[in-house]
Amino acid sequence: MAKQQLSTQTKTKVEKTSSLKGTLASVFFLGFFLIFTWVSVYFLFLDRL
Amino acid sequence: MHMHKYEKIWLFFGIGSLFVFLAVLGVGAFAQGNQPPSCLTTIDPEKVDQTPPFDKPGLVKTGDNEYQLNIVASAFSYTPNQVEIPKGAKVTINVATKDVIHGFEMAGTNVNMMVEPGYVSSFTQTFDKPGEYVILCNEYCGAGHHLMTAKVKVVE
Repeated sequence: MAKQQLSTQTKTKVEKTSSLKGTLASVFFLGFFLIFTWVSVYFLFLDRL
Repeated sequence: MHMHKYEKIWLFFGIGSLFVFLAVLGVGAFAQGNQPPSCLTTIDPEKVDQTPPFDKPGLVKTGDNEYQLNIVASAFSYTPNQVEIPKGAKVTINVATKDVIHGFEMAGTNVNMMVEPGYVSSFTQTFDKPGEYVILCNEYCGAGHHLMTAKVKVVE
């Protein structure tokens, strides 16, 4: 028997680019947390000068 | 290369903050002259007791309202371990160690130094608030590390 696989066209699915909204939010959440802690320690330092 | 818009945003943010912090560091070091407490001044750690000013450790008046506080650190004590400083005095603290690495932290102030054998650690601080400050060793130096403390009294 002939191979039937060749006759069926293979469909390559193009994946939709995943949403990065959550990643963006968590990156900025971490970024602002780092800046907030750095600035608070800096003001503690200035207060003790 | 394709890059997601959000990816560009946080890369810009991350690299941008890197440059902001580098600028802060550069201004502090080169424009304001900030340096580590133990910077360039050396001392023979075996001859600390014979080297001035550490042969007579203590508070020395150097000018109008300006003082020098010379302290010798050794396992597990500071010499002297009780100092009285007049309120408002600008004190340059010099610390040297005779043996291992010690810490020198005045709790509640910005005075916080590592004291390495061979180097003199210095920090200048103005004491505006009267009260009692505890000096403690914050570098593990041996079995008696937790007992290594001293006191500074800022009096009117």
